[in-house]
Amino acid sequence: MTSANPSVAAGFRSWLQRRRGLLLLAAALVLFPFVISILIDGQGIGAVFSNDQGNARFLQGLAIEIFILALYAISYDLVLGITGLLSFGHAMFFAVGAYGFGILLKSFDIAWPVVVLILLVAALVQAVLFAIVLPRVKGITFALVTLGLASVFWIVIQSSDLSDWAGAEIGLQGVQPPVWFLDTTNERFAFYLVTIAILIGVFIVYTRIVDSPAGKVMVAIRENEDRALMLGYNTFWFKLLALTVASITAVLAGSLHALHQPIVTPNVAGLGFTVTALLMILIGGVGTISGALVGAAVFRLLQFYLDKWFGGASDLLIGLAYVAIVLYLPFGIVGTWRAKAVQRQKGLDFVGSLVSGRKR
Amino acid sequence: MSSRATDAKAGRLSEVIRENRTRVTVLAVLLFLFLAAFGGLDREDWFSTIMQGLSVGAITFLVASGLSLIFGLMDVLNLAHGEIFMLGAYVGWTIYTRFDTALDIVIPLLLLAAPFLLMPLWRMLASRLGATPGVRRAIGWGLLLGGGLVTWLSVTRFPLVIWDPGDFASSPGSFSTQIDLNVLEPLVADSFSGAAALAIIGLILGGSILALAMSSFQRTATEAAVGTRRMVTAAGLVALAIILHLSKSSINEWVFGLSTSWRFFLAMAIAVVIGAAVGAFIEVLLIRPLYDRPIYQLMLTLGVGFILIEVVREVWGRPEFTMARPALFNGTGEGCPGQGIGGFFSGCSTVEMFGARLRVYNEGFIVLVGILVLVGVTLLLKRTRIGMIIRAGVQDPDMVEALGINVRRVFTLVFALGSSLAALGGVLAAPSIGLSTGMGALFLLSALIALAIGGLTSFTGAAAGAVLVGLLQQLIIRFGQQGIDLPFLAEPFKPTPTLVPAASVLLMVIVLLLLPAGLFGRSER
Repeated sequence: MTSANPSVAAGFRSWLQRRRGLLLLAAALVLFPFVISILIDGQGIGAVFSNDQGNARFLQGLAIEIFILALYAISYDLVLGITGLLSFGHAMFFAVGAYGFGILLKSFDIAWPVVVLILLVAALVQAVLFAIVLPRVKGITFALVTLGLASVFWIVIQSSDLSDWAGAEIGLQGVQPPVWFLDTTNERFAFYLVTIAILIGVFIVYTRIVDSPAGKVMVAIRENEDRALMLGYNTFWFKLLALTVASITAVLAGSLHALHQPIVTPNVAGLGFTVTALLMILIGGVGTISGALVGAAVFRLLQFYLDKWFGGASDLLIGLAYVAIVLYLPFGIVGTWRAKAVQRQKGLDFVGSLVSGRKR
Repeated sequence: MSSRATDAKAGRLSEVIRENRTRVTVLAVLLFLFLAAFGGLDREDWFSTIMQGLSVGAITFLVASGLSLIFGLMDVLNLAHGEIFMLGAYVGWTIYTRFDTALDIVIPLLLLAAPFLLMPLWRMLASRLGATPGVRRAIGWGLLLGGGLVTWLSVTRFPLVIWDPGDFASSPGSFSTQIDLNVLEPLVADSFSGAAALAIIGLILGGSILALAMSSFQRTATEAAVGTRRMVTAAGLVALAIILHLSKSSINEWVFGLSTSWRFFLAMAIAVVIGAAVGAFIEVLLIRPLYDRPIYQLMLTLGVGFILIEVVREVWGRPEFTMARPALFNGTGEGCPGQGIGGFFSGCSTVEMFGARLRVYNEGFIVLVGILVLVGVTLLLKRTRIGMIIRAGVQDPDMVEALGINVRRVFTLVFALGSSLAALGGVLAAPSIGLSTGMGALFLLSALIALAIGGLTSFTGAAAGAVLVGLLQQLIIRFGQQGIDLPFLAEPFKPTPTLVPAASVLLMVIVLLLLPAGLFGRSER
């Protein structure tokens, strides 16, 4: 069969070649719980499948949180890092997913494929809502408008009028998983695999978008919108596209959040959660898609261990780290890594010349 | 001759109206809507609603004015402004309620800060530390650790009186109740653990090592002499700290003997100074390195606000508490409530005017301070040389710099001025709305909405927008109590408190869609 159509096989092989790092990462992530289970817990492979208590289960939970945050960070990176739209209302995208998914499942008892459809429509609507003002306002004013919209959502979602559905200031709790593989309590490994698959899929889609002609226009808008306009691109549609894709991704992340966390607090709609997104892409590197993944991992692990070691003062330390990164590491981890690529290559060549004994 | 002049004038007026057609229409519609809304209120309600709206508007204006000045001059939207407002409230509360703790913490801070004034000396020493920048940096990190250790050892030896947010009996909340009942006692500090002179010298030494460590991170070597003035100032700070320490108990006794009104004015003054200092500190240390990266400035101020909230939570604790109203605005009994305009000066807590009952503090004093600040800053901008430089800088900072004016210094000054106004707003707001760590975000949102409505760079616009937002909020709250009779509805429609911020955001979005530059802002090219 493969010999009959060699170009497909070759294409697949070259795709494997190009995505080598990503596939290796995915394989490592899938194997990760087994390694922990054997090495640290001293349990067998079966413990992962039977969902036993232990480090393996706990670390899977932490990893799922990281994946959800990574989805959220990636979506914000498309808006801020790639397209250059300064939105301060991104938490609303996430919160609409978390609250929408939870409320629709819990209070209205709708079949989950319908819920997904409704959420898709909601994602489109909120992207359009954000984009409506775009032809008139830019830059800081856009940031203000989005901040205002998100604040309204934040206030509405914790109002006592909606407490039957959204749980007011306490938050939304008691969301039951609609299908077995979305059950984080009883089938954690399945949920873990699902979130890995979603994250890898979204990552591939995002790299494709950034490399596509539309993605190039988005970068052009970030660099110089007037020039993009002058070249004949209707920049509004590209901004709307970026917002829509980001909105769908964030809603997806929010839905997973509602499934994974026992309680969805109103904090996920607040300005603080937008700052979290900002912080994650700053750590990873603004405008780099892989940076969002790195940033989410670093941020969540930092938050977790600082909280463990310092307790109440951890938020202060995270704030200080944030300011330090803005001041001293403006391109983030991935951005700085890429900027130093030439230097690194020189160093490697130097080591290579020492090893091989050849004069360069 | 004269008719031609009037013709020309009328022609110019109609031209202005034609140019600003949208603006005039929006203003007219807004005016009509507000008049209609006030017409729908019950008879005795309209005046108190206006005054409450003005009161909220005045506090919003104090936050918005600083934001507007800073954004206009240096294009920095300071998202930490709400938190400076919050800090002002907490500092004001501390001066008002627990002056002894504030005095105690000031002494070590003064000692620590004094060596930093001698920066040229440390720079010169640092450049002789090691041959290469790498060596210097390594020594710098070592010094940083050592200096931190010395400072920590000395500070812990100081007898500091602090409250404990975790313990209810000595938490800020219970102090507020005690001052209201006039039973507040000064806290008693332990004596120095060890020799007092050792702790004082240790702090000066710690500050010196820290300053030396910081200057060893610089790239280039400098050789500059320390001016006599800096030496004298540094010595003066040390002397001041020692004098304050020696006369601590008598100062405390004097301040606790003052009436609460005087203490409130003292709190306002000190909060203004602290606000200015924090603003200048943020501008010089954090914003200045980022002037060529505008989006990062925005992110940075966001982070600074986050840090300030956490600092307040660590120091003052998470629970909300109130601040007692000063005696001047808290009178009851004989002859109260006061009547008419004169009632505002009768020392009563409330006053009756046009059939409405107003609170002297909220609707009198706050509005008065708001108006005074508006007039004062307008005079500063329009009538003084520094105001002229600021206005020129708003138009074109590069040109101002080319004319030989140190724009950077003006930037710092304006940042300090804006922050001090926000801190003043915080102290003013504390007795009426209480203290909480969320108050900054709340008023920052209102101020941003007010700014966007009024026009981001326009000072008048900030005032107009703040008043609009304040009036709108109070109107909705009042209609929430009264209810609106709508056709097709059996029950009167009652807006819930949720709708208060929602309505102002809606107003902002509509105004921005019609006038992207706001009501009074100049449209960008």
